[in-house]
Parts: sequence; structure tokens; C-alpha cells
Amino acid sequence: MRSPWQRLVSDLLRAVPRGRLLLAASVALAAAASGASVALLGVSAWLISKAAEHPGFLELSVAAVGVRFFGISRGVLRYTERLVGHDLALRMQSALRLRTYTTLARTTLLGRRHGDLLVRMVADVEAVQDVVVRVVLPFASAVVVMAGTFLMLARFSLGSAAVLLATAVVAGLLLPAWAQRVSREADAASVPLRGELADLVRQTSLVAVDLVAYDADIAALARLDDLDARLRAAERRATAVRAWAAAGQVVAAGTAVVAALWIGGAAVASGDLAPRLLAVLVLTPLALHEVLGGLAQAAQTLTRAQAALGRVVEVLDAVPVGRGDAPLGEASEQPSVQVRELSIGWPGSPAVVSGISFELHPGESIAVVGPSGAGKTTLAATVLGLIPPVAGEVATTGRVGYLAQDAHLFATTVAENVRIGNKDASGAQVAAALEQAGLPLDADRVVGELGATLSGGEARRLALSRLFVGSYDVLVLDEPTEHLDAPTADALLDDLWTRAGRRALLVITHDERVVARCDTVVRLGAALAPR
Amino acid sequence: MPRRTGRGPVDPRLLSHARATRFFLGAGVAAGTATAALVIVQARVLAGAISTAAAGMRRDALIMPLALLTLVLLGRAALTWLTTWLAHRSAAAVKSQLRHDVMAATLQTPGRTPSASLVTLMTQGLDGLDGYYAKYLPQLVLAVTVPLFVGISILLADWSSALIIAVTVPLIPLFMAMVGWTTEARVRRRYRYQTRLARHFADLVAGLPTLQVFGRAKAQAEGLRRTEDANRTETLGTLRISFLSALVLELLSTLSVAIVAVTVGTRLVYFGIDFRTALYVLILAPEVYLPIRQVGVHYHDSADGVAAAEAAFVEIDRLRAPSGGTQLTDGPVVVEGITHRYGDVVALPPTSFTVSPGEVVALSGPSGSGKSTLLGALLGFLVPTGGAVTVGGVGPAEAGGREWRRRFAYVPQQPGLVAGTVADNVRLGAPEADDAEVREVLAAAGAPDLELEHPVGDEAEGLSAGERRRVGIARALLRIRRGAHVLVLDEPTAGLDADSESVVVETLRASGASAVIVSHRAAVLAAADRVVRIGADA
Repeated sequence: MRSPWQRLVSDLLRAVPRGRLLLAASVALAAAASGASVALLGVSAWLISKAAEHPGFLELSVAAVGVRFFGISRGVLRYTERLVGHDLALRMQSALRLRTYTTLARTTLLGRRHGDLLVRMVADVEAVQDVVVRVVLPFASAVVVMAGTFLMLARFSLGSAAVLLATAVVAGLLLPAWAQRVSREADAASVPLRGELADLVRQTSLVAVDLVAYDADIAALARLDDLDARLRAAERRATAVRAWAAAGQVVAAGTAVVAALWIGGAAVASGDLAPRLLAVLVLTPLALHEVLGGLAQAAQTLTRAQAALGRVVEVLDAVPVGRGDAPLGEASEQPSVQVRELSIGWPGSPAVVSGISFELHPGESIAVVGPSGAGKTTLAATVLGLIPPVAGEVATTGRVGYLAQDAHLFATTVAENVRIGNKDASGAQVAAALEQAGLPLDADRVVGELGATLSGGEARRLALSRLFVGSYDVLVLDEPTEHLDAPTADALLDDLWTRAGRRALLVITHDERVVARCDTVVRLGAALAPR
Repeated sequence: MPRRTGRGPVDPRLLSHARATRFFLGAGVAAGTATAALVIVQARVLAGAISTAAAGMRRDALIMPLALLTLVLLGRAALTWLTTWLAHRSAAAVKSQLRHDVMAATLQTPGRTPSASLVTLMTQGLDGLDGYYAKYLPQLVLAVTVPLFVGISILLADWSSALIIAVTVPLIPLFMAMVGWTTEARVRRRYRYQTRLARHFADLVAGLPTLQVFGRAKAQAEGLRRTEDANRTETLGTLRISFLSALVLELLSTLSVAIVAVTVGTRLVYFGIDFRTALYVLILAPEVYLPIRQVGVHYHDSADGVAAAEAAFVEIDRLRAPSGGTQLTDGPVVVEGITHRYGDVVALPPTSFTVSPGEVVALSGPSGSGKSTLLGALLGFLVPTGGAVTVGGVGPAEAGGREWRRRFAYVPQQPGLVAGTVADNVRLGAPEADDAEVREVLAAAGAPDLELEHPVGDEAEGLSAGERRRVGIARALLRIRRGAHVLVLDEPTAGLDADSESVVVETLRASGASAVIVSHRAAVLAAADRVVRIGADA
């Protein structure tokens, strides 16, 4: 029975063209690179032992060439392996990103608590790179090198080779596995503490002004120090595990060397082993165990990557909710919304509110008010056609658009951001929409993460211009004044109401100034169940 | 991912923070050096034992060397344990210090950094310092001491091998620098482009809800596929260059070991060196290069941490030593020609006014005229670039922030509430207030029906915007009862009814306290004793 992350990784390997071939090539190259460093010391030891017998120089020349060859090839092989391995890892990451994106695109996200989910997704998906480059390749190649070294040495001294193999399994597989298992328990203790730390920092930063203004800052700082101390204690336990694993690896390497010397020394004394092979037998373990040294770290990387990929699998396996993309209605001269005895709720959950009825006609505005959690955004999603009604009926005429309070600004030009509303809009149409939204911005200016940031009012107007450029004539406005200061909010409302024209406005709000501007008020009941 | 911070190998400020952890770092370097000494002993014992055994001696002759070898190996295991532990301790001490300082800076000058960046910095960001303090910094010292010690012991045994090593070791930093110089510009250029491509996915995912609303989400998959292909090609191009330095490092070190081995072997044939010494040199030679190679490995590990530390220093640099000590006397709050600019941008034009005891002053002005900046200066959160705020001739700097703010009871646009109960939040500045008093101020703030034990969640969850505002006002009223003289009310963001606030102002007048109110509403302006227009000619 394979775990979810293993299934995901092998799925991705199949999804990547020639994925298995790339994997085999990377493992072979990695094994050859590690093998070269083992061989370098082994052949060098042989060369010196042979030289001690004072042979003709020609008898050494093959070994001398071998030493130089392994000396050069290790670096070159490692370089090639890293490139091939990263190529594979990046291909798998791309495949996973596409899969994640298409899955998320199919499920309705509006109105769900998605902030954390989406941000975390981006980071979690990158874990697949770590799994390939830092876990799969090191372990797979280490196993190959262990087996190869055993086979080489077993020809001279089976006993010594067997001890080496046993210590290599301990240092390279058992100790990392033990460290992973034990540190996972320690990590399990520190993960909630990290969550607490993140919460504390976020909350403290959000209310920092109030804490300082009311002399409560010293207490807040003391809470941080206390949490930090607890986190440090938890991390200390995880460190102890790592330290024991590392020390164990040194003991395993030492055991291999001491055993080789003891067994090999006896074999030389009894004439079963050529003296020139003794150095090879004793020194090769040193090189092999150096290769295994990094594997404890690799096992801990796996712990983190497992958790991340587990979360990705959860998202990939989730049943899609709603229809993802909103249906694009036809623009109409007589935009309207008719809601009769409507019950709304998320598919698969009980209705949040029932018995909603209203009619919205061209040029009219309706305010939807109600306590938070009453289903205001659920109503918006239902009217937009993103999720089906639980019961009752919604009929819309015209193209229904949505002005979010936190519409995303993409890291591109203003014009491209406006074209989200209509991908075929001409430059003139974009300029007209910006003008209509009251936003005199250069259409070629880059905004979002890469460019200058817009103020809250400008951002909301940019989002509004998307609705204008796309000929949306039923506008669902979600808390249009939220987070805006009072003069900015008033100016935006003035512009919205004067420029809406024949459009029909459905306004979700708790702002009394907005309610005052609307023709009709619809009150949603109290929340039945907190989401 | 490779990242260049554009700094030298050691950031001096990170080093100065290492003071907090000097003992652990020093002990770590000592343990590393002791390990090198044991490696030398181990090589000597091994070389001796192998040459003895290869000569066909009886096993008894091996018992002493093997016992010694076992001791050395146990010693190395113990040192490995110690090194790991010390490394963690040194990183942990610095991390705790930085966390404390960043939080202290955030509390001293609140609201400068978005909370999301702060959370990232304080958690994953600073964790990146583990690699820096635990591995990179000690390794930097060991890369000098260990090759030196090992080199000297090789020199004492066989000077011509030491010569080869002495020639090749300096080549490593030389070649590394050359590779760095020739590739840096290309890597940086590619990295910028590649970062942009890499962010595309994050940008799309964050914008998914927006795309869905416009029916455009599924259509973007094709664009994502193209960007991903470009991203992979670009990333591999960058890696091809940035892995070059590792290639040079490996090539030089392994090739040097190979040259030493072949040279020693050749000399051995012609009796230029004995077997035992040859083995000794062979075992030790890689140990010269190992710590140097490790520096390269840990440099990349630590780059993230260094970037985070730089972000932390940006915060900490704002931290000012607590000043003050001068007692404030009673008197009017005098704002004299106060102005503030960020670089060339004027955030607040020169403004002057006085708030006498019992007086209500309204501040008005268009959005962005500097009202929030003025309140920040008034409460001592920021030091204005010009002008002064004083009470009885004493400013915030002379009085000290805490003493200064004791005068004020502040209600921000959206009062920040801590998770807990309504009562917890009202008591924020006066933990000793009893339930009866909390109920009184809540009633005075227009929320007589709000339960004291009503839970308040994250970001004031569980309260409406109006209730949140009233809890903020109740809190301020309690502070006035505790001796604050000036109520500072910032206009609420969401449009709440102004009536209850007018009531608050009236009760305030009765108590003899004064008020500074930011508003653009005619009713509020009319109720004030005086209106100060910001942005108008002062």
C-alpha cells in the first residue's frame, strides 16, 4: 500500500514525457558520481600498495590512469547529474502545477476561506522538487553504490565486505529512517507551536497600534518570548535526534574500518589475501561512508516534503464544488434579476438562508444586508451562477459581473488587468473603461507585485473598469466601501451611482451609507450554521 | 535555487549578532578543530596498522592500534554529536534575539510592515538562519584552521606532497572568484527573468477567484503550460551556469588528491618515500579539501537565511533606545508647524493648532492629506521631520513614549481587538478594572447590551463593525477615567452612524477631557469647538 505522496510522485513521473528514462539516467549518473569518489580512494590505495612492491613503472600505469580518471569524472558526473535531476524535478513540478491549477479552476472559490489555502498551495507544490533532487536521487544512488562496493570487495574478502554492507545499511538507511521517525514525533510537537507563533505575530502586528496606545505592548512581547522559549525547547529535542543519528553514522563507519583491518589483517597473515589489497579493503569504507553522511538530512527533508505533498493530494482529491468558471450571459438592454423563494448554501451543505425573494430591474439598486456569516457572499455566488440554488429559483437577464472587495491585481500592465473583463478589448476600449471607472492611469503601467502598488481606491476602480470593459450590466458589488477611508468611499459611491446608468446593482454591504443609496433593502436572516 | 545577496561572505551585522552566541560559535569551532586533530591521529594509526598488517605480522600486533583507533572513532562520534548540538544552540540563540527585536520594533513603530510579511519573516524566514549560524559561519573558520593543521602534519611527514597541496589549495578560491566574476552578470540577469516566470503560477493561483468570476480561469491553463515550459528552460540555463562553481570546486579538489596519490605512488616505486608515510599522506590529503568544499555547500544553504536577516535588520533598525524621563505637567497640547516627508514626498504639510483642556478640535482634509500621519506624530508613533508636538513645553522624546501616551486615549479607524472576550478588550489598558466599571464604559460608548463574556475571535470575528468600534471607544473612555486627558478619534472606515459618537463627545465634555477628532462629516465638524483643515494653507 503506497502512501498518497508516493502515488502522486509516480503519477507525475508517468505524466512527464520520458520521465522514467530521465529518472534512470539521473540515478545512474548520481551513482556513478558517488562511485567515482569511492573508486578514487580504492584505486589510489591499490596504487600505493602495489608501488610498495617496487614493480616496473608500467605495471602501475593503468592504476595511475584510473586514479586520474576518477579524479576528473567525479566532478563532471556530479555536474551532469545535477542538471538531469533538476530537469526531471522541474518537469514534474510543472506537471503538478498544471494539475493543481486545473483542479482548483474547476471548483468555485468565491466566498470560501481560500487565502491560506492558495498561498500554501504554491509553496507546497515546490516540495516535489525536493523529493526528487534531495530524497529519491540520493537514496537510490546510495543503494546502487553500496551494492557495487560490496560486490567489488566481496571478491577479495567476503567477511569484510559483508560487515561493510551491514554498516552501510545502518548508516545509510536505518539511521536516517530512525531519525525521520523520531524527529517526526518531535516535529509534531513543534508544528502547532509554529502555528501559534505565526498566529501571535499576525495578531500582534494587526493590533500593534492598539497594544502600544494602551500600554499592553510589554505583555505582548513577553508572550512572544514565552512562546519562543517553548518552540526552542521542542526544536532542541529534534536536534538531539539529529545529533545521535550523525554520531551513529560515525560509529558505523568506524566499525566498518576496524572490522576490515581485523578481518583483512588475519587474511593477510594466513595468506588468503594479497597484502596490496589490504589498504583497499580498509580505506574504501571511509569513502563509502562519506557518501552516506548526507542521508540523515535527506530523510528529514522527506518528512517536510511528505507533509506538503499530502496537503496537495488533499486538494487534488477534493470533490469540486460548483462549476468553477462563471457562465457568461449575453448583454441585455433590460438587465434584471428575479429571485423567488430562494434557499442558498454550498453544494453538499445545508441551506444557510431560505425564503429570499426580490426583483431587481434596470437602473435599480438593491442592498443585501445581514450579519456576517448570514450568507451574503453565498447569495452572490448563486446569482453569478457559480453554485446552484439549494431550492427556489434565480433568473437573470443580461451579463452578471462581480466587484470583489479584494479583486486580484495581476502582476502585469494596467491594460492586461482591465482585459480580464474582455480579452478582446481594443486599446481604445480599455482606455474608455478606465475613464468610465474614474481611473486616469497609464494603460502600460505595470502593477501588482512587480510594479507600483495602487491605493485601495485605485485598486477598486481598476476592478470596476473590468466590469465596464466587459459590458456587464448586472453588477454584484461586494462591500464596495470596505477598507476605504471615508472620503475615498464617498467618491467611489458617487461615481458608481452616476455611471451605472441602466445597469442593475445588487449591493452586498454592512455600510449604512451604501444602504442609504439603494432603492430597496433585502435583509438576510441570522446565520444558521457557521461555516 | 541559487540566490545572490550581493554581499561579501560575511555580513558584519550578522557577525555582530553572533555576539549573543559567541560561546556556542567558539565551542563549535573548537570542536571542529578537535575533530581535525582526531582525523590526523586516525590517519596515523590507520597508516601504521595497515602497513604492519600488510607486512604479514600476527594479529596480536594489531590489538594496540585497533584499540587506539576505536578510541579515536568514539571521540569523533562524540564530537559529531557535540558539533550538531552546539550548531543548533548558536542558531537558536540568535533567532530568539532577532525575533524579540523585530517584535519590539514592530511595537515601537506599529503598522509599517504588512502582517503577512512579518509572519513569514518571523517563522520560515528566520529559520533560514539555522544554516547560516549552525553551518556556514563555523565552517568559514574551519576552512582556514583545518587545512592549515592537516597541511602542517602532511608537511612534517612529506614536504613534497605538502607542496602540491600548498599550490593547489589557493587555486580553489582563485578559480571560484573567476567563475563568479564571469558568470555573475549572466546569472543575475537570468535570475530576474526566471523569478518573474516562477511567480506567474503564484499570481495565477492567487487570482483564481477573480478569474472564475469573469469566466476566464480554465482558459488560463494553456498560458500556464507555456510559461512553465519557458520557466524550466530558463531555470536550467541559470543552473547550468551556477553549478559551474561547484564543478570547479570538485574538479580541483579531487584532481589534486589524484595527483598527490599518483606522485606518492611513483616515488614509492623508486624508494623516495616509505609505504606507511605514503598511506598517511593518501588518507589525509582529502581532509585538506573537505572543509573548503563544505563552505561552498553551506553558502547556498545559508543564502535564504541571510536574506531573511537583512529583512529583519530593516525592522530592527527602526528600534530606538527608550528615551525620556521628563515628567509631563498639565497643560494644552501644542502642535507647532508639524510636517512630515518620506524622501521627496510630503506626507503632511506644515500644520499648527492647540488643544486646550476641555476643548474639542476637529481635523478635516481630503484623502491622503496627512491626517493619519498627524495622528501618528501626536501619539508619538513617528518623529515628524519638522515642527514639534509638546505638552507644557515637553515633547514625546523628552517624556518617553510611554509617559507621553499616558495622556492620550486613542480610537483608530478600525480598533484592533485581541482574541478573547469583550471585557478583555475593554480592559486592555487597565487590567484591574472590575466588571461594573467595564459595563459603565460600554454603556457610555453606546453598547449597554454587549455581554462582557461575548467571545472575540481573530480579527474581531464575532462582533459587527459597529460593536467593534464601540468596544474601542469604551476602552478609550476607561483610559480617560485612568487619567488620560485627550481622546483621539479617527474617523471610522465603514460608515457607522455618527450619532453615538456625538453622544460620546458630549459625555466627554462633561468630564473636562479634550478631544481631537478626524472627520469629514458636517455634523461632527459643526459640533467641534474648532476645525483645523489639513492641506489648506496653515
